[in-house]
Amino acid sequence: MAILVKEETRVLIQGITGTQGRYHALKMLEYNVKVIGGATPGRGGEKVYDLPVYDTVSEAKTNHRIDATMIIVPPGGVLGASMEAMESGIPLIVIITEFVPIHDALTIRSRAVAEGTCIVGPNTIGIISPEQSKIGIMPGFIYSRGDVGVVSRSGTLTHEIASNLTYRGIGQSTCVGIGGDAVKKTDFIDILKMFRDDEETKKVIMIGEIGGTGEERAARYIKESKYPKEVVAYIAGLTAPREKRMGHAGAIISGGFGTPESKVKSLTEAGVSVAGNLDELLEYVQ
Amino acid sequence: MKLYEFEGKALFRQMGIATPEGRVATTVTEARAAGEELTFPLVVKSQVLSGGRGKAGGIKFAENMTELENYAKELLSAGFSGNPVKQVLIEEKLAIAREFYMGITLDPQKSLPLLIVSSEGGVDIEKVSREMPDRLAQEHLDPLKKYRLYHMIDIIKRTGINGTPVLALAKVLLSLVRCYTACQAITTEINPLVLDESGRAIAADSKIEIDDAGLSRVKNMDTVKREDETLDPLEREARSAGVSYVGMGGGDIGLIAGGAGLGMASMDMIAAHGKKPANFLDLGGGATEEKTAAALRIVLKTPGVKGVLLNLFGGINNCEQMAKGIVRVVDEEKPNQVIVVKMRGHSQDEGWALLEERKIPIIKLGTTSEAVILLNEKVKEKEL
Repeated sequence: MAILVKEETRVLIQGITGTQGRYHALKMLEYNVKVIGGATPGRGGEKVYDLPVYDTVSEAKTNHRIDATMIIVPPGGVLGASMEAMESGIPLIVIITEFVPIHDALTIRSRAVAEGTCIVGPNTIGIISPEQSKIGIMPGFIYSRGDVGVVSRSGTLTHEIASNLTYRGIGQSTCVGIGGDAVKKTDFIDILKMFRDDEETKKVIMIGEIGGTGEERAARYIKESKYPKEVVAYIAGLTAPREKRMGHAGAIISGGFGTPESKVKSLTEAGVSVAGNLDELLEYVQ
Repeated sequence: MKLYEFEGKALFRQMGIATPEGRVATTVTEARAAGEELTFPLVVKSQVLSGGRGKAGGIKFAENMTELENYAKELLSAGFSGNPVKQVLIEEKLAIAREFYMGITLDPQKSLPLLIVSSEGGVDIEKVSREMPDRLAQEHLDPLKKYRLYHMIDIIKRTGINGTPVLALAKVLLSLVRCYTACQAITTEINPLVLDESGRAIAADSKIEIDDAGLSRVKNMDTVKREDETLDPLEREARSAGVSYVGMGGGDIGLIAGGAGLGMASMDMIAAHGKKPANFLDLGGGATEEKTAAALRIVLKTPGVKGVLLNLFGGINNCEQMAKGIVRVVDEEKPNQVIVVKMRGHSQDEGWALLEERKIPIIKLGTTSEAVILLNEKVKEKEL
């Protein structure tokens, strides 16, 4: 089953002609993803690994059925690319690009709420349903198929945890990077709901970070909905200093806000096992 | 990036928000020149980025030139929360009739800008919110909506303000809303917004934080672009190399991680094994050979570092490129410190081969915990 991305998912890549776009298009093809082609303004008619390139998303749409698009364009182009994809009615948009201006992210998010579009990102590794398909930049071979769902704010930490699980013979149903930025459409709760309804997923790993309030809101949801599946969590940055921004994105404890204590407390009260470090997390899942 | 008061006020003026007549001075001579152009009484304000300036004595009132020179000298020589004060803003004192509050900030709960207006200005807005909630109006702004004057009038009236000030305040509020977007701001705040005796609305203070990712879009950037003096030299070097570095002080394990989350998890793991990280460094996406090399050089320069853990993934990055960067530093600098690399992902075989040639210890398929244990052992061996 898996969520969001399945074997039959047909994917467009916006920005396929760039260095990153080209590289990850190849990696996705190697992973047997049904990439139907790409879109880059002014590059229509070209080919990338035999895939057709269109000038616009709507042009691609008239030639193919498209279930999802991956946006891997420079930060200044993300707003336009996202609007284009939404106007073409593409139901799932994965925005890989980091350093997207917050005001652009706000506009994209509000438009997606109005349109009912599922947007994952920005600043994400994307989504992988191991051994089925992926829309993203993760190295596919360190992920393996199984029954653990993973939802994470942190990209490389998802690689770390998934690969540790894989080397111990524990596979994953789907791993979703919701992205590290403060403004994003899809949050922990959206993915938790999808995992709840997915038969393949038996257990969920939630990977949070200091800063923001997404983990607390997820804890409230888990508690209030009497979430039927086991959830194991890890919050990165338990030992991080206050008032220092860890990385460029959202991870900062400021004014007593977004502390690991409040996250751990609310998750524990919701019945979630919260690991103190990565080793403990593995023990909890095994 | 946080702006100084005088930088924020320059942006306000561009957006049509009135500010007091004033000059910036970096020396007593400049302060004196300002005093000759302006009309006493004057206010002398330390230009600092942290809060609590008024309480800490960073604002003085000068009745004449002698007082102005003395205060300028005093404020420019005194530091503020550990940072030097490089400029003072000298402004004509306002004839205050009433004070208000206006601010817009990002509400992380809703992922929307939150506009707050209060009929009580010049005080802590959290306190107003707790003690006099009826004097405060809050409104989440819709990024897709075009706001007009009548929207602002509605919001102002919700705070209990009536009569003649309404229109003047609504005009400022509309300019502030436009400023929030035009300046790619995360926060814009006027506290207090003064209504003077002639009925003019004037921003007596400014607090603006601009989204770094949107900075290049802000018009007249020359008025706001500057070095962030709160950074230490290594943090500044890291910023120009395009990596995110935070010095911790006191630890002996240097850290380079491919991603903020993995970096923080590595810090937690270093602590779990009884050690302290000397720094946090997120290599970020797009890690080239040069970027990786620059990052390693910065961490090796961090005081007290005995060993460096590189915890990397080839995702958007590529293991071969990162390994080339590590090898370059090892070849050129022959560092005395221990280096342990945990790395897997895209082009891992090529990356591992390069490191193995230089006999750099690698954790290929093991955990972060195993990497920390190995590094600790190697550091210990070296000390014996």
